[in-house]
Amino acid sequence: MAQRTPSAPSRPQRGSSASGARLWTWLMLPGTLWMTGFLIASLVLVATLALGTTDPLGNPRFGLNFSNITALADPAYRIVLLRSLGYALIACVICLLVAYPVSYAIALHGGRFKNLLIAAIVVPFFANYLVRMYGWSVVLSDGGPLLRTLRAVGLADGNTKILQSGVGVVAGLVYGFVVFMIIPLYAALERMDLSLIEAGRDLYGGPLRTFLFVTLPATRQGAAAGAVLVFLPAMGDFVSAQLMGGPDQIMIGNLIQDKFFEGQNWPLGSALTMLMMAVLFIGMLGYLRRTRKDEAEATQ
Amino acid sequence: MSPEAPPPPTRRAVLAGAAATLGLTLAGCGFLPEDRNAFGDPDKPIDVKADGDLVYFNWADFVSPAVFDGFEKEYRVKVIQSNFDSMEGMAAKLNAGNRYDIIFPTAKWAQRLAAGRRLRRIDHSRLTHADAVFGRYHYFADPWYDRHSAHTVPFTMYKTGIGWRKDRIGDDLAGSWNDLWNDRARGKVFVLDDRDEVLAMAALKLGLGIGTSERHDLDRITATLQDLRPRLRGFSSDSYNNLLNGNAVMTQAWSGDMAAMLGQAKDPSVLGFEVAREGAPINSDCYAIPANARHPGTAMLFIDYMLRPANVRKNIEYIGYPMPVGGSEDVYASIVKPFPQCLVTPDDLKADLFFRNTSPKGEQARDTAWTHVKAG
Repeated sequence: MAQRTPSAPSRPQRGSSASGARLWTWLMLPGTLWMTGFLIASLVLVATLALGTTDPLGNPRFGLNFSNITALADPAYRIVLLRSLGYALIACVICLLVAYPVSYAIALHGGRFKNLLIAAIVVPFFANYLVRMYGWSVVLSDGGPLLRTLRAVGLADGNTKILQSGVGVVAGLVYGFVVFMIIPLYAALERMDLSLIEAGRDLYGGPLRTFLFVTLPATRQGAAAGAVLVFLPAMGDFVSAQLMGGPDQIMIGNLIQDKFFEGQNWPLGSALTMLMMAVLFIGMLGYLRRTRKDEAEATQ
Repeated sequence: MSPEAPPPPTRRAVLAGAAATLGLTLAGCGFLPEDRNAFGDPDKPIDVKADGDLVYFNWADFVSPAVFDGFEKEYRVKVIQSNFDSMEGMAAKLNAGNRYDIIFPTAKWAQRLAAGRRLRRIDHSRLTHADAVFGRYHYFADPWYDRHSAHTVPFTMYKTGIGWRKDRIGDDLAGSWNDLWNDRARGKVFVLDDRDEVLAMAALKLGLGIGTSERHDLDRITATLQDLRPRLRGFSSDSYNNLLNGNAVMTQAWSGDMAAMLGQAKDPSVLGFEVAREGAPINSDCYAIPANARHPGTAMLFIDYMLRPANVRKNIEYIGYPMPVGGSEDVYASIVKPFPQCLVTPDDLKADLFFRNTSPKGEQARDTAWTHVKAG
């Protein structure tokens, strides 16, 4: 499908330009150090701490203690983990449905306003996530503008609520992360060869058939990338459930946050984090295999 | 054409990288046992004099700006402010080696910090106004969290009760934690998003100790809270906004938040605050000087300055919390006239419903109970 995927960079001939290679090695150094220091080291820290204990001051201490791992068998975590998976998946699907028309309209019909329109979507997302979510919780609150309007036109009664419900949490997640879906979709649609659509029309495909069999498959990779970018943070999010959820909408991120703050139980929090990462990693494996297959097809 | 790829790293480079990672991991954390005075000698007497700018670390908005101004002018020092938003956050900053001159832990955290030799000893005889505190509020002369208040001076006090909207569910509640089960409030009740407060509420209702970590007690507490859960709208410590914007008609609430609402609500008469007869958890913050403070002398001057009657008055008016300083009671009483239950009296202190530290095992048991309450 994606004929324009560039072929993988070829390996330089050994010895062809040793000084050039050394230069690139040095240029990689800061980034590598940064990643080592702040990403890998902290991950190692979390993994190690999952086996730790706490001292009487509540400070975490390294150790070799498997009680945090066995504590994960508690059914409470399974329920919350499954709920988080569910919310993240629903948020992902809604983001896709919301983002596709937006990206499509901007990429194919945006004309000279393309960049302006993308900026109009991206700039509000520079505002702090927490602040935006607080704003959102005011909009959705019982006395907020949305419900007041709905009540005025008779679509809601005094007991209707959006906050502290699953709808509220998913709405928060969609609002929080939809831009991560729009951008890769926009990039994919923008990059797409428009003559493909014309070809589809030439072969007597109606608008719908052309969209389904030409445009959609051509932007599949963008959608997949967007799905991953939305799914991962949505799964670990705790702000949406905190501000817009009730007792039955707690997500795994809330429990992890609780362990680190409320209970001062960093080791158990670390174990929960590792559990969540394991679940996400299994999900990612599917995505990675899929993209590898796509690439293999493309280079054939 | 893409840039040339670098040559594959040698095995030695990989090993060096792995070692560097491990080193960074270990260096970046204070999770290994440390020596007794790693954070400085807590017992060295403090020379009470201005020895530099005051590095101040507290909740946001907890001291009147006018009081800061006065202190800066009088002692010709600057107050360098930073804020925390939870005790855990404060502890994390201290553990990371940040150096502050004055911090404001709650009683429970003061005990933890003092036990960990992290607080400088405070000689009360060097504070001119100490008697208004310890002479009037005997409780603080030898509190459970710090023998003889050797490392702390109490700052504010607060308790936990129930706040509600009179315009939605009426004026009169029963004055009991059972009110949270009130049918008129069903579906619009919040409890605090705070493990100790929520477990304590159920414990008081059942007549158990608020800090219990007994398996049997915790099972009963969890069952009671599971019974409340279907009536709850959520766990939230933002009582202030929840009550004002109408998401809550009733909420477990801290007295300080209710006092703050009196100043902010368009019509405070629609709000009520009661304290349950089964008991109200009580808590206090205190002044403390970290063992590694750079300017402990200035910190001592600051504590004394804060205790001057005029400044106590200004601060109480500004933050809406009562302080255990003799002679300031009438100021607070006039602020919270509609909510007299916000007052914290020496008798309240005697009831001693403080949240205390438990053993790591006990903490774990309480933590598990809280997870079950929250996750359902």
